[in-house]
Amino acid sequence: MSTFKAIGDRTTAPFGDFLRFALRVMGDVYRLRVMKFFGETLRQAGILVTGSVLIVLGLVFILGLQCGIEGAYGARAVGAPSVSGAFTALCDLREVTPYAFGYMMAAKVGTGIVAELGSMRISDEIDALEVMGFDSMLYLCATRLLGMWLVLPFVYIAAVAFGFVGSYIAVVQQIGEVSAGGYFQIFWQFQNPVDLLYSSIKGMLMATTVVLVGCYYGYNVSGGPVGVGTATAKSMVVNIFAIHAIGMIGTQLFWGGNARAPIGG
Amino acid sequence: MLRAVGDRTFLPLKEFIETIGSMGVLTGKTLTSAVRPPYPYGKEFVTQFLFAVRLCWFPMIVASVAFTYGPSGVQAANFLNLFGAIDRLGGLFIVAVVREFAPLVCAIVMAGVAGTAITADLGARKIREELDALQVLGVDPIKNLVVPRFLALMLVTGMFNVYAVIFGTFGGMLVTVTNGAPLGPFFATYFTNATPTELWGSLLKTILFGAIIAIVCCYKGLTAKGGAEGVGRAVNQAVVISFLGIGAFNYVFTQTLLATHPELTLVR
Repeated sequence: MSTFKAIGDRTTAPFGDFLRFALRVMGDVYRLRVMKFFGETLRQAGILVTGSVLIVLGLVFILGLQCGIEGAYGARAVGAPSVSGAFTALCDLREVTPYAFGYMMAAKVGTGIVAELGSMRISDEIDALEVMGFDSMLYLCATRLLGMWLVLPFVYIAAVAFGFVGSYIAVVQQIGEVSAGGYFQIFWQFQNPVDLLYSSIKGMLMATTVVLVGCYYGYNVSGGPVGVGTATAKSMVVNIFAIHAIGMIGTQLFWGGNARAPIGG
Repeated sequence: MLRAVGDRTFLPLKEFIETIGSMGVLTGKTLTSAVRPPYPYGKEFVTQFLFAVRLCWFPMIVASVAFTYGPSGVQAANFLNLFGAIDRLGGLFIVAVVREFAPLVCAIVMAGVAGTAITADLGARKIREELDALQVLGVDPIKNLVVPRFLALMLVTGMFNVYAVIFGTFGGMLVTVTNGAPLGPFFATYFTNATPTELWGSLLKTILFGAIIAIVCCYKGLTAKGGAEGVGRAVNQAVVISFLGIGAFNYVFTQTLLATHPELTLVR
């Protein structure tokens, strides 16, 4: 019995800790206290754009290509190469773009934040901020969260476009069994703006979780230089859990009872 | 001005190409010192194997059930339901899970969980100058540290692929049941569409994913520099390069496999 309690304490206590941290950071953004450091927010948004966006788009593009060849070969298998657009539309927009976006946000942005904040923590820079009278959580975490929220909706739309381009290249240019017009006719029929909205909700939830997890692990690093590395690795584990949970629940909620495809009545 | 622009564009590119080259050199060194006697890495191999299994088994199960339940389960079942052909979900799962999602999920989890832990571990040793100390003692870090991790990660990734397929299929069963359809037709189409080539391709792909992850993560760990921030930065770069490498390799491998084995794209 005591073992179960120990396991429970080990998993639930950090989770509660994380929730308190996340709510505090989101509260800072919501109550606009973060506007005190709006310059820093813009700087963080700029770092995100120049440093990470291309790499995030790169993974989405590669997995878009992947969707394309699977769709083209799958449609050829049922003897209807021209409907590969139906597969790629569902694959790109609804599933693969959010996942690829979440994975790369976790890998590039999440671990980057842990490494940065963690090294600030162990070289006592965060304590120095507190001593100078700065609210360090507001200055370091809330600005990053708001900076991300300012930029990422646009990045997400760009990522969707990159995935589409990848699939187009794979299906039409590479496999080449359907004309561009025929491909696009089916492709656009099998999606609508509501799908894009749902997909962005999934992507944004993943990205928000990734940034909050990164801030939490970076802000609470302990144990010297080795601690930074360990915390970075641990944040990645948590992110993988969170991304898959959001992806699965999101799909079930948004598309579980309704195929939203232009077939039948 | 022109020079500044040139530097900004080409220096990162040069650095990138140099990194790729160094990783190739590390791969070559690892392979030769893995086969050339003596073989002192047996114990470390077992330790690393158990370490990776202990770290990854739970994330792997969660990820593979979630990934197959969502993309290939719910979306495909919706689509098939419109045609009243929910029993074809089994055949689709061979394509989706065995060929694509099980290896991908496996690789993402291995890179994200085991790979980052390896980089953090080696990076910490590097900046505490333990690796230099080992070299002074006459112990080859590649033979004693990289080779066991390389072999262990290849074996674990390949092994976990089997479990990813099993739990992925479980995700498909879950979808079939939630759609109120019987499981018999699911398995009937599942097994008529299954081919040994598909399974071998999937296994080979994941073993090579394991090799990519091990080389990238060991390289970034061994070359960590710059004190406290260095280790975190190394983990960050390792996981980014692993993910991109996995994606690029996955594309090339799947494309080659599909183009050279037309029997895989038959619907039975």
